[in-house]
Amino acid sequence: MTNSIEELGSADVLLVTGSNTTETHPQIGRNILEAVDGGAKLIVIDPRRTDLAKEAHIHLNLRPGTDIALINCMMRIILDEDLADDLFISMRTENFIPLRDYLHRLDLDELSATTGIELKKIHEAACIYARSSKSVICYCLGVTQHSCGTDNVQAVANLAMLTGNVEKKHSGVDPLRGQNNVQGACDMAALPAVLPGYQAITDSAIRDRFQAVWKREIPAVPGLSLTEMTHSGKDGAIRAMFIMGENPLISDPHLSRVQETFENLDFLAVSDIFLTETAQHAHVVFPAASFAEKRGTITNSERRVQLCRQAIPPIANCRPDSEIIMELGKRLDCPGMDFESSDEIMEEISLLTPIYGGMHYDRLEQSHGLQWPCWNRDHEGTEFLHKYYFTRGKGQFTITRHQEPAERPDRTYPYTLVTGRGSYHHYHTATMTRNSKRLVREYPEALLEINAQDAKTLQLQDGEKVELLSRRGKVRITITITDRVQPGTVFSSFHFFEVPINQLTTSVMDPKSKCPEFKVCSVNLQKVKHD
Amino acid sequence: MIDLQEMILEKDRLIPLLRKLKKESRLIAPVTNKHGDTLLSEINNIDRDTIDLDRQPQNSLKSFFLPQQEILAHYSVDTTGYNFTAPEAAKETIYFGVRSCDLTALLYMDLIFSKPAKDASYYDRRNRSVIITLGCNDPFANCFCEATNSGPYLDYGYDLQFIDLGSSYYVAAGRRKGADLLNKWDYFFRTVEEEDQKIRYQLFLEARGRFNRNIQVSHACHKLQEEEVAETIWEKLAGRCYDCGGCAYVCPTCTCFSVDDMAIDDSHGTRIRSWDACTSSGFTRMAGNHNPTDRTRHALKQRFLHKLKYDYQKHGKASCTGCGRCVDICFGGVDITTFIEMFTRDAS
Repeated sequence: MTNSIEELGSADVLLVTGSNTTETHPQIGRNILEAVDGGAKLIVIDPRRTDLAKEAHIHLNLRPGTDIALINCMMRIILDEDLADDLFISMRTENFIPLRDYLHRLDLDELSATTGIELKKIHEAACIYARSSKSVICYCLGVTQHSCGTDNVQAVANLAMLTGNVEKKHSGVDPLRGQNNVQGACDMAALPAVLPGYQAITDSAIRDRFQAVWKREIPAVPGLSLTEMTHSGKDGAIRAMFIMGENPLISDPHLSRVQETFENLDFLAVSDIFLTETAQHAHVVFPAASFAEKRGTITNSERRVQLCRQAIPPIANCRPDSEIIMELGKRLDCPGMDFESSDEIMEEISLLTPIYGGMHYDRLEQSHGLQWPCWNRDHEGTEFLHKYYFTRGKGQFTITRHQEPAERPDRTYPYTLVTGRGSYHHYHTATMTRNSKRLVREYPEALLEINAQDAKTLQLQDGEKVELLSRRGKVRITITITDRVQPGTVFSSFHFFEVPINQLTTSVMDPKSKCPEFKVCSVNLQKVKHD
Repeated sequence: MIDLQEMILEKDRLIPLLRKLKKESRLIAPVTNKHGDTLLSEINNIDRDTIDLDRQPQNSLKSFFLPQQEILAHYSVDTTGYNFTAPEAAKETIYFGVRSCDLTALLYMDLIFSKPAKDASYYDRRNRSVIITLGCNDPFANCFCEATNSGPYLDYGYDLQFIDLGSSYYVAAGRRKGADLLNKWDYFFRTVEEEDQKIRYQLFLEARGRFNRNIQVSHACHKLQEEEVAETIWEKLAGRCYDCGGCAYVCPTCTCFSVDDMAIDDSHGTRIRSWDACTSSGFTRMAGNHNPTDRTRHALKQRFLHKLKYDYQKHGKASCTGCGRCVDICFGGVDITTFIEMFTRDAS
């Protein structure tokens, strides 16, 4: 997030796109609703009528995969209405003219038809967003999990820069991170092309700095992304894997390909707090300690590094992941794998990671955490990003063009399947939540949301089981008839291993981010015939 | 023996008195831990565990009398059939520094667990308890106990009630066990002077004027007897409810529970009672997926009507004690005060 979470509560306009915030980020959802109660305007872009969309002043229920067309349409309206922030554009951005000329060539009615939303509604939303100087955009995986995910994000950035709604308090662009510490994992370079603190692995000066401490040569070539690894296939380059706290045999797209990869690995080790579906395929399983059994930090969406204290000693033979890695490292003759504690690990992080330069345990202990960038001990952390200048200097406008999702509905597969998280009660592959009896009681089985109109056409009753098929596989799933989805679109979660919805999803991914298109694939529904 | 009903305890004598009391029973009091959380907790070392009477404990008395999870019975199976053994008996416990709202809630729980028959494990703990309350001179940010007739001072129900007069406590006995304590430890106390009475009365008046929030609880109770709540209000509230159950768990009067048998092995197990919440759809769901409550529209209906309408009909008093904990915990901002404000504001 460029903003802090608390800033959302005092924004005047909140544009939430591709995020079911109240269900998936309750704390942030609360701030958004507080702003709404205080008189702020809420615009929600989502193909589904989520609880948050019901609270919105304007709900833009676009056809899945048409985000760029919608944002371009909004930007063109902003130009036509003379609501662009010319001063901001000239002072803080570059490459505006090509975007402006491109937008002027677009046909508004055509864009509106592409999105399936009437132009009047888009017009109203664009004006509300552009007229306020305290407008915030929150986005989540509904924006990124597309074959054009990177361009979707660029379009959102264009919109914010066009109206000068960045670089100050109460306005910015806020990706909401999907796990408690996914921000921290990225910060620590659980990404293929960077070293901790987003320092490029291709930069030899940076590599030298790390090599001096790690006493190991660091490869200059970026590694593979997750989907590239799990989809490497039968004769792929990946021969062995060590997986920590991830369950790709449920969570990755086009599961038959993932299965093929896993079945042909020479060696698989998994470290997790429960025996996941992926761990069941492992040659070696390490029982890992949970958050409550270890000390360390968690970095949340607003870049806040928070100290998490150990509440109980590890149960039975469980050990913190860091210890498991160090023990493995020692056996592999890797130098420097003898950290006494997470405190010592943080000492190295602050040494090698400029944005974490001022993150010291004694400071974190005395506060509710510090927000990076935090350059040194005297730095108090950063409330919002891009004050005075963007990371790269000037903000760059880049033209984004609408492109259709990899799969479009056709006669064989006439429905669009959107996947995501299903409720408050389960989290991702439900590794943890299905071990809670109460949560299982509240949400016992996978459900497919379908519009009443489609259910009628298919002669389906609420609670009936259907066969859901795509070009890649099929699952059997119970339907729930609801107005949350539009006709032609169905929605399901990926929480239940009995209904592995990712058997159906496509392996097409964004060429730059390598993020799979989890949000759109074509499916068909068939009534289950009883004998 | 003189029946001592009201006495003065100089503040310097508090710890010495509690030290004596702790020798005879378990002592529970509000303690602020090193993470800054104030909780009613067992005092293990009266010199090290600093009792904090300035902050509201995050937990109420509920968890001590109806634990979040408790063993109702152990069972074993052999050739003769099932054998049940009762869990360990409760210990004599003195609760010190309990707020008026929380004692009022306990009196309500006494009622709930007395019919149709007395709940054995609840009353085992209750009968072995002594409750010493502390009147609130300075109500906390979200409190509204005056509107629910459960504070800031109490007229009855306590074993002992402490009122902070500045350098001393005005201590009143409300029940036999409290009077017995005053008698037993009479040398710690002095008699009440007219001046003490005057200060106490003044503090009470001032405390009543210090509430941040003016919640129209009795107006809501009356109005609920006469009219239905608009569907739009229920739907608005349900749309904002995150189904976390936080309100029910922090509430001192929410007593919904579930009972599960947990097998340890083929021939042994335990019967466990744990907190539940009427706001959860699984709590009311029946076979064949029938559910009298539609969560999407009525998630909070039972919760609020139970407290403000049904209990008012049954007992003449709402079963909300104005402690304000649900206000602090609710993610969606749809606590009972939101409901009362929406409902009483409604022009209809």
